[in-house]
Amino acid sequence: MRFTIAREKLQEGLAAVAASIPGKTTLPVLANILIETTERGIRFSGTDLDIHVSHEVQADVERPGGITIPAKKLQELARELPPNPVKIESAGEQKVSLECGRAKFKLNGLPKDDFPQFPAIRFGDGWRVKSADVRKLIKHTTYAVSTEESRPILNGVLWELKPDHMRMVATNGHRLAKMDIAVTGHGAQASDLIVMPKALDQVSKLFPDEEDLEVARGDNHLAFRSPFTTIFTRLIEGPYPNYEQVIPKDNDRFAIADKDALSSALRRMATVASDQTHRIKLSFNAGILRFQVNTPDLGDGQDEIPIRYEGDPMDIGFNGAYLLEILKNIPTPEVRLTFKAPERAATVEPEGWSDPATYLTILMPLRLSD
Amino acid sequence: MSRIAVLASAVADQIAAGEVVERPSSIVKELIENALDAGATEIGVEIEDGGRGLIRIRDNGVGMSEPEAVLALARHATSKIRSANDLVGVATFGFRGEALPAMASVSLLTLETSEQDGAGTRVTVAQGVRQQVEPIARRRGTTITVTELFHAVPARRKFLKSARGEWRAISDMLDTIALVRRDVRLTATHDGKTMFTAVPARTWRERLASVWPGVTAQTMIDVDDVQGPVHVRGLVEQPANVGLGSRRVFLMVNGRAIRDVGLVRAAEAAYHSTIPSGARPSLALDIRVPGDAVDVNVHPAKAEVRFHDRWAIERVVEAVVRRALGVAAAAPMFGARFGAERTWSSGGSVADVSLLRAAPRHSPLFPSGDLTSFEVAGDTAVTDAHADTSQSALQPVGHAAHVSSAPAADVIEVPPLLQLRRTYLLFERDDGVVLIDQHSAHERVLYERLMTKLTGGDAIVQTLLFPLTLHLSPAEADAFEAHRDAFVALGFGIEGFGGQTLVVQSVPMPHHRFDAERALRETLASLAGDRIASTAARHERLAMTVACKAAIKAGDVLSLAEMRALYTDLAQTTLPAHDVHGRQTIVQLGWDELERRFGRA
Repeated sequence: MRFTIAREKLQEGLAAVAASIPGKTTLPVLANILIETTERGIRFSGTDLDIHVSHEVQADVERPGGITIPAKKLQELARELPPNPVKIESAGEQKVSLECGRAKFKLNGLPKDDFPQFPAIRFGDGWRVKSADVRKLIKHTTYAVSTEESRPILNGVLWELKPDHMRMVATNGHRLAKMDIAVTGHGAQASDLIVMPKALDQVSKLFPDEEDLEVARGDNHLAFRSPFTTIFTRLIEGPYPNYEQVIPKDNDRFAIADKDALSSALRRMATVASDQTHRIKLSFNAGILRFQVNTPDLGDGQDEIPIRYEGDPMDIGFNGAYLLEILKNIPTPEVRLTFKAPERAATVEPEGWSDPATYLTILMPLRLSD
Repeated sequence: MSRIAVLASAVADQIAAGEVVERPSSIVKELIENALDAGATEIGVEIEDGGRGLIRIRDNGVGMSEPEAVLALARHATSKIRSANDLVGVATFGFRGEALPAMASVSLLTLETSEQDGAGTRVTVAQGVRQQVEPIARRRGTTITVTELFHAVPARRKFLKSARGEWRAISDMLDTIALVRRDVRLTATHDGKTMFTAVPARTWRERLASVWPGVTAQTMIDVDDVQGPVHVRGLVEQPANVGLGSRRVFLMVNGRAIRDVGLVRAAEAAYHSTIPSGARPSLALDIRVPGDAVDVNVHPAKAEVRFHDRWAIERVVEAVVRRALGVAAAAPMFGARFGAERTWSSGGSVADVSLLRAAPRHSPLFPSGDLTSFEVAGDTAVTDAHADTSQSALQPVGHAAHVSSAPAADVIEVPPLLQLRRTYLLFERDDGVVLIDQHSAHERVLYERLMTKLTGGDAIVQTLLFPLTLHLSPAEADAFEAHRDAFVALGFGIEGFGGQTLVVQSVPMPHHRFDAERALRETLASLAGDRIASTAARHERLAMTVACKAAIKAGDVLSLAEMRALYTDLAQTTLPAHDVHGRQTIVQLGWDELERRFGRA
């Protein structure tokens, strides 16, 4: 293998795959980056076995081949190189020499064949979607996933691809976020996928809004592709809980509040709320929302903000941290909340959103047992 | 004729043989110990048919003269002690003078011995009766051959196991001896095949590697520590390897291999929270205590000893093993806190609280400035957005007690904390360094909170979008029924309990890492089978179990805010120094101790 590459292109390729390289690993080759020549130049790949990212950049290839090199060292080195073309040549299966201006280096690597392969996925049968749409879904839902180990299915984000719309849903059993975006003619048939949030993070980072994205599914893998970047990821298997069933249909109390006013009142209350439960009591009345926190051993606090409210007055407790996180992702200045009863699911939605997408979040209350 | 008569010595020997010569392995053991006491450096063991056919032990020890050889086969003849006073602190393996005559009384025993290469003696004894004494030519050392074992005692012979079973017992015993005396070359054959070879080893690790093939001796952790008069050395398995290979345990007290459940339990307790419950580590420990702290003459086969202060020694073993596991090898010993009472109701709690509450000196490595700026940054954000809010709302959490409506609690100033090994929180005080075990500490905090809820306090309950469904075993279902009210008081909203399926609609939320399903499952599993009558005791047991299952674990990375919260919460508990299992949550290392270790004192 021998090629010459612009320093910036080398840095670009390394930066793209760096995040997919695990910090700590028991399999030494995973700390390495795979460098291979292609028809268009050089392909960089990294994987933690859950997710596999590759990115192609332009380079002058003299002799085809491939090798793996410790990612961290190569990245440190690339950062410090002078602004000259970089000449990279393999010396045997496990060594690579690198020349840039008058600087010369030799790095020890591992053979290309040690690098784990991801199963081939045929993009021909896949979907074509807009990167901007996918990124929007990711941004508004992934925060709600669970990190508990006992229900691994909730550690993933549900992605439904339907002929006329896409939907993402994430929940940890206490709160849920769901967004729908209408699409036209994305190709293949309907499918439900459960995707790891860290794979979606990579998708958000590596595919800019303006790109068209090809998405294809293998047996239990999913692949995303743009002209230069490919991401493979394992899918989480199993049935996703029936979330449609828990979306409240008969909530008959409504409140509309200013999102910033609500958020800042919640943040104030949070300072005296319990570190463990973050419980904040909200009292909804016509025209006014009162907040109350009383934490034994710590202190108490009250506050109020003006709101629009319809329905019988009601007190309800929430985990303030959950509610704040939801509000952070609400895309409109005003937010609409609906309730049925203090122990029933509440919904939080954007109010007056002119976007074609629809967004709904559900929050389960924190109750004081009696 | 008198109904009471003194037993003939042959009968007495046979009775003694019942204790000392239980089976072939005990003969091998006695004979090898004799060889070692005779200063042998090479010992060969030959076994046929699991010991039924032949047992032969060859050594290169000092040997015996002809009169000595004859006397050796007489009861209570020993070269090792002279009077009862010598029993205190006895250092040789054998001393009771029972073994040889006892063996000879139930077998055909041939003793060949020589004090120097050349002239030697052969004594033959058949079923307790001396047959002949004749001169022979042989090398220095002693060879004892035992055949026709239990020929005259068919009842005993019937109780022997298969040749394989007896060989296994012999082989276990050889392992033990090889570990006690790593300087000795020990070889053994069974039915002509070489089964065991231990060459003299420089280190214990080397010996362990050859004696315990299923245990990864290379990665075992060194233990070597002195606590008062007790010196504990040895190797213990790395927590990560526990349960992967076979499990072996070896204990030695003052050079003598012993069995002792209490010491093993103490060493295992040191692994708590580092290995899954139920997994048991391999251990090889050599414990040295003053000769007068232990009585070895309590068991004919000397497999057990009696400590004058067992509690103290177990405590040292646990502490020493835990330290070897938990703290970097170079770290110094625990200081003043170590010897503290470990009982529940110890009056030490006041001092413990002060340990957490006294103002710490700031560590130069971790200046308080970092923390202050962290806090200020957070506050500034709030201040900017709401310059008009009341003063009290702006107080950072750590100081909010100033405006608290709660009873005037002491302000707990939280020192800069550092998380070590994702397991301990460390901070510095005027008089030394203090470590908190995060799991134990959290367990203590949760336990006290849960007890409050069970005795009538409020519980905060998170309702669930998707009810949890748990399928229980009959024993778990019984456990749930027995504790149903208590579970409800803790905040578990459980509906539709029919038969063995639980549907959980809401769960308590003691902290944001809480995994309700797992905690409930594990709690029911460990409560299953409990038979506790009184409600108070049941509540206590439930709170302990839930606290243990719900607490953050060793290995959880804590944020700065979580560490601070845990510190504050722990300081507010009534018994901060101990977790619900009675282990310490706090350990202090005094500067004086540190200085002593570095040779500065």
